[in-house]
Amino acid sequence: MIVRRTTGRAAARDVPIASDAEIVRRLASGELGALGELYDRYHEPLRRFLARATSDAEDVDDLVHATFLAAAKLAARFDGRASCRPWLTGIAAQLLRRRGRALGRFFAVLTSFQRSRAAHVDPRPAREARGDVVRALAQLSETKRITFLMATLEGLSCEEIAAALQIPIGTVWTRLHAARRELRLALVEDGEP
Amino acid sequence: MTRGCPRRFEVAAVSDGRVLGIERENFQRHLTGCLDCSHEARALGALDAAVRALPAPAVNVLHARRERTRLLAAFDRELVTTERHSKPMHWLWAPAIVALLLLWQLRSASPEPVGKPLVHASSSAVWTMRTQGQLDQLRLERGSLSIQIDHSRAITRRLIVLLPDGELEDIGTKFTVSVENARTTHVAVQEGSVELRVRGRPAVILAAGETWIPAPPPTAASCATKPVTAIKPVTAVEPVPTIEPAPTIEPAPARSRARLRPATTSARTFRDAVALLQAGDNTAAARAFASFAANYPRDLRAEDAAYLRVIALQRKGDEVGMKHAARVYLQRHPAGFRRAEMESASR
Repeated sequence: MIVRRTTGRAAARDVPIASDAEIVRRLASGELGALGELYDRYHEPLRRFLARATSDAEDVDDLVHATFLAAAKLAARFDGRASCRPWLTGIAAQLLRRRGRALGRFFAVLTSFQRSRAAHVDPRPAREARGDVVRALAQLSETKRITFLMATLEGLSCEEIAAALQIPIGTVWTRLHAARRELRLALVEDGEP
Repeated sequence: MTRGCPRRFEVAAVSDGRVLGIERENFQRHLTGCLDCSHEARALGALDAAVRALPAPAVNVLHARRERTRLLAAFDRELVTTERHSKPMHWLWAPAIVALLLLWQLRSASPEPVGKPLVHASSSAVWTMRTQGQLDQLRLERGSLSIQIDHSRAITRRLIVLLPDGELEDIGTKFTVSVENARTTHVAVQEGSVELRVRGRPAVILAAGETWIPAPPPTAASCATKPVTAIKPVTAVEPVPTIEPAPTIEPAPARSRARLRPATTSARTFRDAVALLQAGDNTAAARAFASFAANYPRDLRAEDAAYLRVIALQRKGDEVGMKHAARVYLQRHPAGFRRAEMESASR
């Protein structure tokens, strides 16, 4: 499908804008320029999603990079829908989940060492950050946070989320319900909705 | 409705798409009149709006361009690597094949296993070799074989040469054996010693430098019962000018002595004793062998004499004398070649 966008410089030259499906098809055939186009189109929303989904901002660049490279490898399996944003978000979520599993084991070990020192941490910064939405999101487990952000930030339906994360739809509903309840608890305690 | 509406949970269910069709429309109507559910819907909407309203992380344009370049370079690298790997690398087979050929060449050129006899056969030789564990059996039908075996490297390995008319066991290291017309015609020991066992004749130990050639078949003029074996120095390989009718065992001569020596006293004594044994005079033979062993204890044939004395006494039927003689053999030759046989006889 060819869409003609008539804004900016393109309007003057009437340059045809390729559809997502067309770009991904070219990407599947190994065209380097197609990856550049896809990056230009979706790197910002993807970066925003990953920045909210992960607590480590330094990982975002690497995750964006890895998501597009993975998309290039999986391009042949793209189902040809109008927008490939949900597809890219799904890939990013999968990468996040795999990284989380690897890091989870590492942090579990670290936590076991630091458990005795936790009581000595100053509680004031946590109290100050309780009302912050960002802080509330960070308190969610990664699986709940990713599911919630895919629904709210990316606007994906529960079916799309289930397909992207390769989990049953009932699990998506459960995670969304739990995420909302925990977020509201965290925010209501601080006077927010 | 008031607060605590039982349908409050349906707000999130509708939002998630868990309630569809008529149920959804029904709940939408309920929502307009229920304060509790409306409040819940507003709260959920506010939560989603708060998340969506979060400021997007600032993206530096230059940083984004740099990341784009990095991504394209990585993709290009992956493409090239994949193509390179997908090419069939037939050239890798060449060194592998060359290495295999070299290994095969080295293996085929490698020496025989440790202790295996080294056999040089004459052009007319007909022979076969069979190995059973530590025993090498070499069957010589015709021609000459020069055999060398290193017993220092294979102490337990035995070599037996099967001849048409007997057998020959290697005890030393290097010897030559020839067969013609189904008869052993020549045995020469260069190093070590061998034990030759020809049918119908006593076993003979040949030491380094000694050569064995058989006497010609007995004629009418000669005594049919006389022994027909002669042992001559190794250097006298050419036909023996005069055939000794009785066995003659000589110590290895010096290399300079090219011709056959006349028989010595010890040789004559031994020959006479053997003649007595072959004539069936076992009592006299036993006495003669005992005399030989007593008079020539350092002679190479002393062990043969001690052994043949036991044989003579056995043939005589003197069991007590035979056991005693066997014990004498064991005392004088504790490492003798017939030790096992003598141990059996002494019991």
